[in-house]
Amino acid sequence: MSSSLELAELVEEVTEEPDGRRLGVLFWVCVGWLALNLLAALLANVLPLPNPLTQNYNAVNAGPSLHHLFGTDDLGRDIFSRVVFGSRVSIEAGLGSMLIGFGVGAPLGMLAAYRRGRLDQVLTVVMYVVLAFPAIIATIAILSFWTPRTLLKIIIVIGVAAIPLVYRVIRTATLAVATQDYVVAAKVQGASDTRILVRELLPNVAPIAVSFLLIGVATVVTLEGSLAFLGLSVAPPTPSWGNMINESRTILQLNPWLALFPAAAMCLFLLALNFIGDRLRTHFDVSEGKL
Amino acid sequence: MSDETLLRVRGVTTVFDTPQGRLTAVDGVSFDLGAHESLGVVGESGSGKTVLSRTIMGLQPRRGVAVTGSVRLNGTEVVGASEEAKRELWGRQVAMVFQDPMTSLNPVVKVGKQIDEVLRVRLGMDRAAARARAIELLEMVGIPAAATRYGAYPHSLSGGMRQRVVVAIALAGSPQLLLADEPTTGLDVTIQAQILNLLDEVQGRLGMSMILVTHDLGVVATRTSRLVVMYAGRVVETGTTRDVFARHRMPYTRALLESSPKISNPSHTRLAAIPGRPPNLLDLPAGCAFAPRCAYATDRCRSERPVLEPADEPGHLFACFNPLPVAAGGPS
Amino acid sequence: MTEPLLSVRGLSVTFGPRSRRVSAVDGVSFDVAAGETLGLVGESGCGKSTTGRALMRIVEPTAGTVSLEGADLTAASGRALRERRTAMQMIFQDPISSLNPRRRARDIVAEPLDCWKRAAGEERRRIVDGLLAQVGIDPVAYGDRYARQFSGGQCQRISIARALAMRPKLLICDEVVSALDVSVQAQILNLLEDLKAEYGLTLLFIAHDLAVVKNISDRVAVMYLGRLCEIGPADALYDAPAHPYTTFLLGAALEADPEAPRRGEVLEGEPPSPLDPPSGCRFRTRCPYATERCATETPELREVARGHQVACHFPLTITRRGGAPD
Repeated sequence: MSSSLELAELVEEVTEEPDGRRLGVLFWVCVGWLALNLLAALLANVLPLPNPLTQNYNAVNAGPSLHHLFGTDDLGRDIFSRVVFGSRVSIEAGLGSMLIGFGVGAPLGMLAAYRRGRLDQVLTVVMYVVLAFPAIIATIAILSFWTPRTLLKIIIVIGVAAIPLVYRVIRTATLAVATQDYVVAAKVQGASDTRILVRELLPNVAPIAVSFLLIGVATVVTLEGSLAFLGLSVAPPTPSWGNMINESRTILQLNPWLALFPAAAMCLFLLALNFIGDRLRTHFDVSEGKL
Repeated sequence: MSDETLLRVRGVTTVFDTPQGRLTAVDGVSFDLGAHESLGVVGESGSGKTVLSRTIMGLQPRRGVAVTGSVRLNGTEVVGASEEAKRELWGRQVAMVFQDPMTSLNPVVKVGKQIDEVLRVRLGMDRAAARARAIELLEMVGIPAAATRYGAYPHSLSGGMRQRVVVAIALAGSPQLLLADEPTTGLDVTIQAQILNLLDEVQGRLGMSMILVTHDLGVVATRTSRLVVMYAGRVVETGTTRDVFARHRMPYTRALLESSPKISNPSHTRLAAIPGRPPNLLDLPAGCAFAPRCAYATDRCRSERPVLEPADEPGHLFACFNPLPVAAGGPS
Repeated sequence: MTEPLLSVRGLSVTFGPRSRRVSAVDGVSFDVAAGETLGLVGESGCGKSTTGRALMRIVEPTAGTVSLEGADLTAASGRALRERRTAMQMIFQDPISSLNPRRRARDIVAEPLDCWKRAAGEERRRIVDGLLAQVGIDPVAYGDRYARQFSGGQCQRISIARALAMRPKLLICDEVVSALDVSVQAQILNLLEDLKAEYGLTLLFIAHDLAVVKNISDRVAVMYLGRLCEIGPADALYDAPAHPYTTFLLGAALEADPEAPRRGEVLEGEPPSPLDPPSGCRFRTRCPYATERCATETPELREVARGHQVACHFPLTITRRGGAPD
């Protein structure tokens, strides 16, 4: 509505002090939760946890107790320990594949948007061709044939599939910045292309990249779960959140804990990631921030 | 001034609730507008002139705005009126011409259809009559080959032509009051002259009243009979256009006049710039809002707010404790 | 006459593919003497901003030469171009988008120095603070603020400080005051006049506002649809315009004076598309004095008075001007 636009102009005109917008308590709760997850995954080996692979036929499908916080599965393995160890697979898959996606897609996207011309045209066409493949089906097909499946292979396949998506987002974000007068100004002051990319473009693209990265990690965690559910992720008995949910399928009525805890862990992890990503995007958006 | 009052604005105050605090964009504005009269509202950004014109129209964002005071158009109260009541007013009683013709036209609807819509919805015309009238209106606003342009999309028209279409839409309901908010800002000099002449002409021909909101004193100098000068949401001086230009008493009015370069002055004429910048509406000074930039400010100006008081001429009011002597206010 | 600081010859810029070629600037030639201010005025689409950008080679000229102090800029490339170009600096219309919102005022002004490693440490700080103070930004209070925290007028001041950091000879100002409030506009115009005197700058001042251009310029050039119509001393050109277009342009300008007579008649219609410009004189389609000759023969700039050139076959004389502004 045009009148709210007027308000924005009005406020912008009079905003002089640094905007004291806060990220909010919930944001920090989410950050704390993620940090806890990461720490647990990192230190899983040193933490006083039972071995996630040790079977105990004396305590099969047990409910939560002081001894087994989340209960045990049908082989008597400690679910809490498996959820913690399982988070490793999810987090590694998420971060690893995004590392590949951003490592290749982000620089190409920035370069294409800054240089424009032939380089941009060629890269964009190539990326659209890759995008045209149905990524999920391609991923499933490749993982079905590329055996034995290891986490590394899964990371590579998902990472490569993410490149064109990252490219597109970063290119669009860079385009919006690259047409600003301050980029032209830097050029006429004699700044080199590298300097402009690093000094002028990167800081303005980074917030968008970070929030997209977080949402990307969340998507990959879900994807890994889906693949596991299809039996296409890391081979059992290695726990992953997806694997555990998959295993619970047949005995869901008997032992709902087996599905509940990995699903809850995954859900909270994803919620936190998405919330942080979204909050960061609005927080760092210079223009939107004033609204 | 004409005998009958078309628009009566009394103590209008518009307050926005912003994340940074309460922002008073318009603060106690009052004026009358007679039938067939044209009034200029002049101010810099943040003066509240645009918010004022939207308040008169009854256009408000849904949340976080509080309007108090009274705006009576032909006896109908606009402040606090229901959407339905306002829709009755819009088009037939009051119409608006916005600054940017590109965003005030729907880009995917043919321009003729956009005029049609007003005619059919507001005036209940049938399809054929609306079409004929729309072409007539396009001709009236000086669009050549109006019958052909009826089917044109906004993007295929130039900026000047688009603004003519916006004027045609505004005229469709034969309103009694035309509110033009920066109607020529962003247009080229020669196109600006065309549009202003057009507004002048249709105002005279249709006997409308007009409010011309602008930052440009050149736009209002020869085209309005009365002026309202706004600063930080308040009226600081008002009177006939001639009096405000030639016999202004408020230092801000003079500063505004003297800081804009004039074609009649030789090149390299030193401009009398006003120091500082328009005030922060979230953090207004206690006294006169212009005091921090004013060369004549005293302690009283900084602590007490001046109210409008009459000058020598009838209808000429100014808000200043240390008004300029009349002789000093000659046109430069 | 001494050698001009900036010499532009036959500058042309075209955009777009062959089928939809837009001739934005067509054979523009002019000189700017050291220490003078040349105003470049015209309506939108006349090519004035493109001319400014082509001088800096932000857009590549398709033909013509640009020389600064006798050195051809159009021939340079790569690092040589970047280095030579620092002698010219540019300030843009939109003060907000001219500055990277995520950088601090000090760093923005220091950027050119950092690029060329001209100063570091204490000296860098001294230069930067000096520049900021000179444009009216208190370096102690505001030097570490981010660009997004400044108002339009303040941003424009910082842009000017940044442009001056390399001690340029020529400053190209592209509509630098058109986005500012009247009261702030006057501050910036006065600041430019002061800095010009102090730094011995030469200015190319591009704007659409006739009063602003006259106020700051020694000479004024008028453009229409990619070509120069008229160029001459500011006061003379405004007092006695020789090109019919200039007359209309001045006639349409609004004077903030209720007593001012309505001047001249209003120019009808709108400029033709630069995709398909008229043959001969590009103004002939709207010119009341146009004849056959105007359609077939392109008028060249020729002198009508000392230093006053006009590109018209039938330049207006005092008698011909009749009802036009005096």
